[in-house]
Amino acid sequence: MLTEPQRATLRALIDRLIPADDYPGGWDAGVGDYLERQFAGDLSDVLDLYRSGLDALEVEARAKAGISFSELAPAAQDELLRRVELGEMATDWPVDPAAFFRAAAEHAAEGFYGDPGNGGNRDEVSWRMIGFEVTG
Amino acid sequence: MSTYDVIVVGAGAGGGVAAGVLAEAGKTVLLIERGRELAFDDVPRDHLRNHRYSRYGHNTGPSLEGNPRVVVDRDGHEHTLRPHEDAYQNNATGVGGGARVYGAQAWRYLPTDFEMASTYGVPAGSSLADWPIGYADVAPYYERAEWEIGVSGDSVGSAERWPRDRDYPMPPVQLNRQGALMRRGADALGWPTLAVPLLINSTPYGGRPACIHCQHCIGFACPVDAKNDSQNTLLARGRATGRVEVVTEAMVEQVDTVGGRVVGVTYFDRDDERQTARAEVVVLAAGAIETARLMLNSRSPEHPQGLGNAHDQVGRNLQGHYYPGAVGLMSEPVHDGIGPGVTTAITQFNHGNADLIGGGMIADEFVVLPIIFWARNLPPDLPRWGAEAKRFMRDNYTRVARVMGPVQEIPSPNARVTLDPKVRDRWGIPVVRLSGATHPETVRTAAFMYARAGEWLAASGAQRIWGSPPRLKLSGGQHQAGTARMGDDPASSVTDRWSRVHGHDNLYVADGSVHVTNGGFNPVLTIMALAFRAAEHIVREW
Repeated sequence: MLTEPQRATLRALIDRLIPADDYPGGWDAGVGDYLERQFAGDLSDVLDLYRSGLDALEVEARAKAGISFSELAPAAQDELLRRVELGEMATDWPVDPAAFFRAAAEHAAEGFYGDPGNGGNRDEVSWRMIGFEVTG
Repeated sequence: MSTYDVIVVGAGAGGGVAAGVLAEAGKTVLLIERGRELAFDDVPRDHLRNHRYSRYGHNTGPSLEGNPRVVVDRDGHEHTLRPHEDAYQNNATGVGGGARVYGAQAWRYLPTDFEMASTYGVPAGSSLADWPIGYADVAPYYERAEWEIGVSGDSVGSAERWPRDRDYPMPPVQLNRQGALMRRGADALGWPTLAVPLLINSTPYGGRPACIHCQHCIGFACPVDAKNDSQNTLLARGRATGRVEVVTEAMVEQVDTVGGRVVGVTYFDRDDERQTARAEVVVLAAGAIETARLMLNSRSPEHPQGLGNAHDQVGRNLQGHYYPGAVGLMSEPVHDGIGPGVTTAITQFNHGNADLIGGGMIADEFVVLPIIFWARNLPPDLPRWGAEAKRFMRDNYTRVARVMGPVQEIPSPNARVTLDPKVRDRWGIPVVRLSGATHPETVRTAAFMYARAGEWLAASGAQRIWGSPPRLKLSGGQHQAGTARMGDDPASSVTDRWSRVHGHDNLYVADGSVHVTNGGFNPVLTIMALAFRAAEHIVREW
């Protein structure tokens, strides 16, 4: 559904929305799997927003730093993403950058904190992190 | 064409009770439900699709396609919505109705709740009114609901607030850490607390086991069937007589009349075939919004405005509850995983608040799903992404306490259900059009209760408190009520004091539609009690 470069940018984006610490980041926790399922279902109508947003994020990174978004240092990625969140772009975006960012942040949380039955939250990792235990 | 003694439309809290009482009294009953039978496994524990968080759908009926409603917002803009979308005012469909997945709070209304107009006066623009009956008329049926469906509660504490002749059949459900902390805070304020009565078994009861304190109570079905509602009690008893026929996935198109008299219903069965059924008595229990729709859609030469609607009252006074509340970051963990989670209520603000009409109950909240915590419980200034957001979730999911509660709404005749002139459902039936808002007095009361929520959290040790102040809106949703209100005067009400539609001796309503006002409490026990009362009246009048 996404090209390889788009997928690489998405992975880097997800891992800044939910960064790794002593618990896994969003991608390793299954947010990518969650999104892949949802792009074929409830989120099929935002797939184009993602494609355009991810391409634009990559163009923005190359324009500002000369390298791919996924190759930027985490601090530089965060700095760029703060501008995306505010819609303060240096390049022309075909979609509203703030809307793209809000959607990605929300969907990342759904994949990370939602139930594993939705494809993310691998082995209930986020629930163990926060102290939500399912009994019965 | 099949013939029965009684046809009941809707297998929710009220319809299930009515069907059970009537069948045990020897009547043959056709119970028509638009949803399905829902076994435990039929109600997924999907955190993104349930009746607490309907991000992409929900885990019961109605299906997302083919069941639109039109909502007119405060700016006059029309929106055609699907059932899981905000402002649709959805409630679960299926055998059991909303109660199949409810939180099961089992409140009686207070005596004053039946006498709102004479207690407070009627504010300009409001349709606030007294009920034609009082607490004493309903009390015996509250008791029946508590015993025959099954309520756990604090009998002594309840008796300090409500006249009651008999204890609850079971002691309160287990306290948890959040409740213990909030009780200490209430003690510091001098606010008396009461264990929240629940239609949940705290001990084995009715042939089913006790609650196992799981974390998926509200919004989901019970894994051990310890949550009580009409489908596993009164309806089960009715079915055991062999006199109840339950038809599911069937949509009633209209109540049929001959020469103005109700004779039965026409409905679409699960294969979308149009069927007719005939009965001596018809009971409408489809919920306050769909019952009103069905009455309005039941037009005939004798009833050109729909059944019971000669005075343009059907569908008006739609009410639910405003739910002001707040969350507080506590200095110690409050989540210990012991569900259902709601344990402790304050009822002293339901009435007697200076310069306000009515008030509301406030209680600690159910166990919150992690994604709901992320979506609704984070501090407003916290980033929604990055290391800081993740850290907050990790550090504070167990340390945030929640309190909230239903505010008694001041009804407006302009908060209403009508029929949309254009949009039809998948059977071709005109759909609900929702418009208006509650009377603005409701917002003042809700703002007062919002402040009490913060005060309670602060006294309980919250380091930081946040929430959203209430705003004027239309409500309905799971607590929907008021659209076929009881009254002695047919010009200002739809049903009489027995829940019978004015002008029809064989058409009754057995859901929240008949509530004149909706109390400052969860309404289900009142819906059940009035269904007992209406069904008993049908039998007595036979």
